[in-house]
Amino acid sequence: MAIEGADLVKAAAFIGAGLAMGFGAIGPGVGEGYAAGKACEAIGRKPEEADLLTRTMLVGQAVSESTGIYSLVVALLLLFVV
Amino acid sequence: MEDLTKIPQFVIKIFGVNLVFNVETIIMSWIVMAALILFGILATRKIDFLPNPFQVVAEFIIGAFYSLTKDALDAKMAKKYFPLICGLFMFLLLSNWLGILPKLSEPTRDLNTTLGFGVLGFFIAHHAGIKAKGFKGYASGYFQPIFFMAPLNVIGELAKVISISFRLYGNILGGSIIILIVSHLIYGLVLPPVLICFFGLFVGSIQAFVFTMLTLVYISVQVK
Amino acid sequence: MTLDVPTTVKLASYVGAGFCIGLGAIGAALGEGFTAGLANQSISSDPRKSGDIIKNMLVGQAIAESAGIFALVIAILLIFLESPGTSLVKAAALVGAGLSMGLGAVGSGIGSGYPGGKACLGISMQPTVSGRLTTNMLIGSAVCQTPAIFSMVIALMLMFLDFGKGAVSPTWAALLGAGICMGFGAIGSGIGSGYPGGEACLGIARQPTASGLLTTNMLIGSAVCQTPAIFSMVIALMLMFLDFGKAPPSPTWAALLGAGISTGLAAIGSGMGGGMAAGASCEGVARNPDTIGQTTTTMLVGQAVSQTPSIFGLLVSLILMFKVYPEATTLAAPMALLGAGLCMGAGGIGPGIGNGMTAQGAVTWVARNIEAAGVLTRTMLVGQAVSQSTAIYAMVVSLVLMFVV
Repeated sequence: MAIEGADLVKAAAFIGAGLAMGFGAIGPGVGEGYAAGKACEAIGRKPEEADLLTRTMLVGQAVSESTGIYSLVVALLLLFVV
Repeated sequence: MEDLTKIPQFVIKIFGVNLVFNVETIIMSWIVMAALILFGILATRKIDFLPNPFQVVAEFIIGAFYSLTKDALDAKMAKKYFPLICGLFMFLLLSNWLGILPKLSEPTRDLNTTLGFGVLGFFIAHHAGIKAKGFKGYASGYFQPIFFMAPLNVIGELAKVISISFRLYGNILGGSIIILIVSHLIYGLVLPPVLICFFGLFVGSIQAFVFTMLTLVYISVQVK
Repeated sequence: MTLDVPTTVKLASYVGAGFCIGLGAIGAALGEGFTAGLANQSISSDPRKSGDIIKNMLVGQAIAESAGIFALVIAILLIFLESPGTSLVKAAALVGAGLSMGLGAVGSGIGSGYPGGKACLGISMQPTVSGRLTTNMLIGSAVCQTPAIFSMVIALMLMFLDFGKGAVSPTWAALLGAGICMGFGAIGSGIGSGYPGGEACLGIARQPTASGLLTTNMLIGSAVCQTPAIFSMVIALMLMFLDFGKAPPSPTWAALLGAGISTGLAAIGSGMGGGMAAGASCEGVARNPDTIGQTTTTMLVGQAVSQTPSIFGLLVSLILMFKVYPEATTLAAPMALLGAGLCMGAGGIGPGIGNGMTAQGAVTWVARNIEAAGVLTRTMLVGQAVSQSTAIYAMVVSLVLMFVV
């Protein structure tokens, strides 16, 4: 099984896409979970403000999702464009 | 075992374009719809002071979801969007539970169903946002907090649709595959019914609730 | 210099032994050090009880050591024992056995240190219940050792059963994948089971009348926390005992290796996350024992949702194992399947831990503010669902790698 140039590039692109999305999912997962945990604590202290606290949590989680989306974009580029 | 991921399809060619119907999914969806319509008829047949069991269940679900909707949206909007939220929850709950019955499978096992509901929620949320804030207010929301975050915010909105649909699809399909394979390997012991209870009833209820709550929360985030 | 098959098998057994004791020593040492540190802290706050505390510390350290001893036994067996079957399949099985026990001992060692340390703190806070504390610590640490025992069973099976009946080519990947799967899968559950044990010990010191409730709650929480390790063991057993000889060797080796990596890595996060939730529930029950019903319910719901990333990992593994592949002559097709396994495996770690943190916050405050339980459960579910988004992206990329390219 001779390994050709184009084939090696495709193989490397697939492994790269797997690594990109795989390791890229670790950080946002932990960060968003921490934000949600603190939001639950805050709601436990002041249940009347639940609505405002939930909205703030969602906005914060959406921003920390950014790097996860970068990973997804790079993974999709590696799969379909390279 | 090899046709684990095969979907029975029915193809019609019209004007050179293939119209593909996923037969099993469509029939199961019709069964769920028929069951819900029957439930609705039985619950409202004779609205009496002493309610029949269907009316009790219906009142419980409606009361719980109306208070959830009122918490998230203000009173006028809550009345408008409440039927959507309640109907979505009841359809998804019954769909996720349908797999427990023999010979029937869940319509949410097919990506088409869940993606359809996800796109529906997306369009409703953004329509509500445009109506509440006006087109200029809605569009300027994408440029928060800084100007060049705009493409990232757009991708974030699309990613929300993908995440909400695939979460439901992955959980339900995963549960049914796991039940199938583990039952194939361990015949007739106690384990398959326990698995079916966990994956079918418990996970199905939670995922239906999460999908509905997230749709509600996305609508309320767009409106405020 | 060409290697004949018996030499390769010997090489593999030595490499496996190295991995086994090298990795296995990490966890036990970390756990014992944690216990000793907290023991010193307790002695400094109550020097008169140093006898009891040191006794407790030594007992706790002995339990944390057991994972390291399992690893030592497997390593010595690997070096000296002649096992049946001499083919390259055996070589892969021996490396897999070493990885399985080595990685599996890491989590259990770290996890068992936590109850020991917290029990020492508890003795300094409330010396009269030191007997009950030692008992609870023993029970908690014993549950923590369960994943290491699963790993040892898989390692022994890999070493001593004869797998020579299948064709060489995909079977080596199946056995190596089985070892990797059980090894990684045991890390998370081992570390996670330590949290409820530790919090239960501290809770008994604060509230000795609730000790029965606390032990029960700790056992329930730890048992549910073992689920990801059980998923890994199921996949490892399936990889070992199903016959993959009919499938074409070329992409199937990558599919089986990817299947092992997918469930193994994804179980790390869910195990730790489930443990955090169980720990918070033990702490909450110690503060307010009459809220035990609602607290346990919220803990179970939180743990069930935080196991979703490991269920996605399991799903990708099952699809990789059971899908029918055409024969592949290029390198790209196997690499796509290996990439799919890596992607879902690593993608399950972060969201699992994050979901556990969310459940921890929610369960702690359900115990302190029982009237807000409904709002808290709702918010916990929404927060967990949003933080699972990246696990879902990873699943999407895996599915694309398996089905589209």
